[in-house]
Amino acid sequence: MSGGAALAQPPAGAPGSLWQRLTSGASADRGRPYFLFFVPALTIIAAVIVFPWVFTLFMSGYDWKLAQAGTFVGLGNYKGLLTDDRFLSALLRTLYYTVLAVVLPLILGTVSALIFHRKFPFRGFLRGVFILPMMATPVAVGLVWTMMFHPQLGVLNYLLSLVGIPPQLWVYDPGTVIPSLVLVETWQWTPLVMLIVLGGLAALPTEPYESAQIDGATGWQMFRHITFPLVLPFLMVATIIRTIDAIKAFDIIFVISQGGPGTASETINIFLYLQAFAFYNIGYASAVVVVFFALIIALSLTLLYVRQRTRWST
Amino acid sequence: MTATLITAPPRRRLIELAVKRTLMRVGFFLSVVVIVSPAILVFLWMLSLSLKTEIETIAYPPVFIPEHPTLANFVQVFRASPFALYLLNSIIVTGSATLLALAVGIPAGYGIAKAKAYKVAVLVLIARITPNLSYLIPLFILFRALDLTGTLWPLVITHLVITVPIVVWVMIGFFESLHPDLEEAALIDGCTLWQAFRYVALPLSKPGIVVASILAFIFSWNNFIFGVVLAGRETRTLPVAVYNVLTFEQISWGPLAAAALLVTLPVLILTVVVQREIVTGLTAGGVKGG
Amino acid sequence: MQGRSNRTLDISRRRVLKAGAGLAALGASPLIAAPAIAQSGFDWKRLKGQHLEVSLTLGPRADLWQKYEKEFEELTGISVGSEKVPEQQHRQKVAIEFSSGNTSFDVVTVSYHVQKQLYGRGKWLVDLRDLIKDPKLTTPDYDFADFAKGAIDYATQKDGRLDTVPINLDYWILYYNKELFAAKGVSYPKSFTEMVEVARKLNDPKTQTAGFLSRGLKNANVPVWTSFVLGYGVDPIDADLTMHTDGPEAIEAAKIYQALNKDCGPPGVAGFNWNECQTSFVLGKGAMWLDGIGFSLPLEDPTKSRVVGKVGYGVMPPGPKAQHSALFGDGVGISASSKKREAAWLYVQWATSKMMNERHLEGQYGAPARASAYEAVRKSGKLTGSKLEWLDAMAGSIKIARAGLPDIVAVTEFRDIFGVGLTNMITGADPASELKKATEAFKPVLAKTEKA
Repeated sequence: MSGGAALAQPPAGAPGSLWQRLTSGASADRGRPYFLFFVPALTIIAAVIVFPWVFTLFMSGYDWKLAQAGTFVGLGNYKGLLTDDRFLSALLRTLYYTVLAVVLPLILGTVSALIFHRKFPFRGFLRGVFILPMMATPVAVGLVWTMMFHPQLGVLNYLLSLVGIPPQLWVYDPGTVIPSLVLVETWQWTPLVMLIVLGGLAALPTEPYESAQIDGATGWQMFRHITFPLVLPFLMVATIIRTIDAIKAFDIIFVISQGGPGTASETINIFLYLQAFAFYNIGYASAVVVVFFALIIALSLTLLYVRQRTRWST
Repeated sequence: MTATLITAPPRRRLIELAVKRTLMRVGFFLSVVVIVSPAILVFLWMLSLSLKTEIETIAYPPVFIPEHPTLANFVQVFRASPFALYLLNSIIVTGSATLLALAVGIPAGYGIAKAKAYKVAVLVLIARITPNLSYLIPLFILFRALDLTGTLWPLVITHLVITVPIVVWVMIGFFESLHPDLEEAALIDGCTLWQAFRYVALPLSKPGIVVASILAFIFSWNNFIFGVVLAGRETRTLPVAVYNVLTFEQISWGPLAAAALLVTLPVLILTVVVQREIVTGLTAGGVKGG
Repeated sequence: MQGRSNRTLDISRRRVLKAGAGLAALGASPLIAAPAIAQSGFDWKRLKGQHLEVSLTLGPRADLWQKYEKEFEELTGISVGSEKVPEQQHRQKVAIEFSSGNTSFDVVTVSYHVQKQLYGRGKWLVDLRDLIKDPKLTTPDYDFADFAKGAIDYATQKDGRLDTVPINLDYWILYYNKELFAAKGVSYPKSFTEMVEVARKLNDPKTQTAGFLSRGLKNANVPVWTSFVLGYGVDPIDADLTMHTDGPEAIEAAKIYQALNKDCGPPGVAGFNWNECQTSFVLGKGAMWLDGIGFSLPLEDPTKSRVVGKVGYGVMPPGPKAQHSALFGDGVGISASSKKREAAWLYVQWATSKMMNERHLEGQYGAPARASAYEAVRKSGKLTGSKLEWLDAMAGSIKIARAGLPDIVAVTEFRDIFGVGLTNMITGADPASELKKATEAFKPVLAKTEKA
């Protein structure tokens, strides 16, 4: 960047301070106090989550069932989790569910964004319709989908019968329950991905396309070499948001299958609910929260790392 | 925008191109239909369910257009919950949580994007990552101790945990995509950081703000669990009304669909109103090129 | 007039004044013709001006109580803020509130089969025995002896505390479709073996008719199994905590459960809760349905049911060793952290009075706990036809009622662990091994939670 050299001095004092360490990055803000911009938000968040987190960490060291005296067990709950078959199965199921529930909306959302990026009649209205599923209250929508999934009375099996496919058991069968739930998640959250990617597409410059066209590139080539890299940051944002939401998915699963049939759709969050609010094992549940959280952080950091890599490469 | 041609193409080729274009148009039209129909169909089905009597609801093959449409289901929704109260509470809680989130989240997104302070970004993310269930007991105890449980404050404060991270994260993405040259120019001219933000970056990030507000609003509006546990009898929010229609010993698909529709309706109306904003916001776009 | 019933005032004059005042107050309200409850001489208005918060579980009882809430307010001058919360959320909310040490409600309804040990151990509710005995606080015609002994035993904690008044009892009965029975010429089964035979005979996948409808969804399905276990003369877990869940009786009961659901159940029954079963039954797609008597209301409603007039209500058939109807129930209690115990007790007295119990039964809101309600309703002749059959089934079930779930702290884990096993049986798993596995998994939980 030309000029501006005079302003590039780091602020006097506070080198190596906590803030600087937190906010430093490669050729970042050249010492400008950008941190002032995010202090309020950080304070609010810290204020609200500090107590719950302290409580949770504290409780995770106890074996406490509601209405009874608790005993200190240190890391006992965590050891228990490692050997708890039910928890480990929930872990696998959560990963299975998450992968499906992130990949499908990403693909469908990107395709939809590309479609909506083009002009066509009634686009505005149709776009509004398209994002309706995301607006609907998950609890409400979940109950409606449960009715649609009913093996004998549900409209889905009826539609299948119209094209000659035999009735499915959907959420009433352990083998098909997770894909059915993913179907609902996809239906609901594809618009979110679409919206984010569409925002990215709208910000795209037109020159690269014009030059590419002159050079005779095909639609697919333009997508692959121009659109995709430029839209990648937005895809990453969408991926991160979707991943976190999918891992934590609760409302839909709880309302439709309650983790059943049996334990076929019991994800970690459902397992957590059972421990905390059905069995009242607050201590054990707190340990689940900590482990669950660590898992999500690990995944998010991985995704963030990938994101940073892609930003720097464009 | 076809490539310039040097010689006039033969007739056959022209027809081929025309056919190809029509096929592509049809294909495009079909793909629009395909992606929009799941959304609209489910809502139409919800509408259909809400207008049917019990006996038509459980008919098979399913009845799409009720022979004896009834408004009884909607009446029951209103009878089952103090709907207007819940609606008001939802508006206040979500409105406040969204506005507050925008007030602190937009600058935060800017600051983090500019300072490339990703560690801070992760800290903000912690609030979003923490499972909602783990907030319930401690926050309830806290608010009870502070004697706030009869007011809307617990809800507004708790909803911030939902809205602030969303705003921050979306804004980070948008601010990052802005070319820094414009602000650099302003700073060289002697603007303070805040002025550069307020008068240069902020207006350009309108599409981001639009998206962030919509998302924050929706996630806060639709939140169910906080509204049940942390709210008092008179401070419940709207999604709770859905479960209230589940009369315990009866089949209630009709009232359920009616409740689902009613609870979603305010947000649907918002979408229609906001639609135009999205259009202008997104097509205005960001800085193009250098 | 501060009436304390042991003051020596002229009784007749006081009576007249009371009745007059009562009637005058009630005259303003179109809902009520002076209820008998107000004429006992007891001063209901003693705590006038107070306010109560009442937290109810969403359901018919809540509907009933809210319907007549104004009557209570007129009667006592106490204002009431009541709320009905759906069952699952209510239990969650109640647990969280009690754990904070200070609840926002004064009166709360609870489920015995899920929460009894929880609130019992935590001493979350006030011991009502002292309140009941105190003539200053309890109306003389409360008639505590009127409550069915079985119900009171069910409500009483192991250490003798009575911290709730039972308000509704859910007896499990066998609903059956008379038309389907007549078509194949079968009569009501008189034993478990006959049940299976009838189910097989009436099961017809071609017409999508299930021979037997019962819950397959884990957790919800356990009462179905325990209904059969009771018929073998054992409890799933004894009062002394001996587990019989992997014994020969339990395995036989599980085999019956498996046969009925796997071979004679509708497709997808593994995910069925009471509402899916009920839906199938009212559509005429099930020959028999084993579930609580409290779900009967929509069956005879022509706007909801296709089997109006064809529904039979049968008492649970006897098993090889015993005949029992599985019992579950709800009660009402006063929060220990409430500062308005006496006012709250007034509300509870009113809600569990003879008058309210009669309304409860008459309106088919469920099965109340007072014996007098049954006599009164029978005498009034208000229930006829199929409703009378329903009442008979209830009367028959009351005689043979036995708790359907063990009275332990970890009852939800019990339902969960064994429920999963039962669901697995529907898809073909071996009953004996599933029960063994579940018992092994549950033993440590039981030991740990009962120890405290």
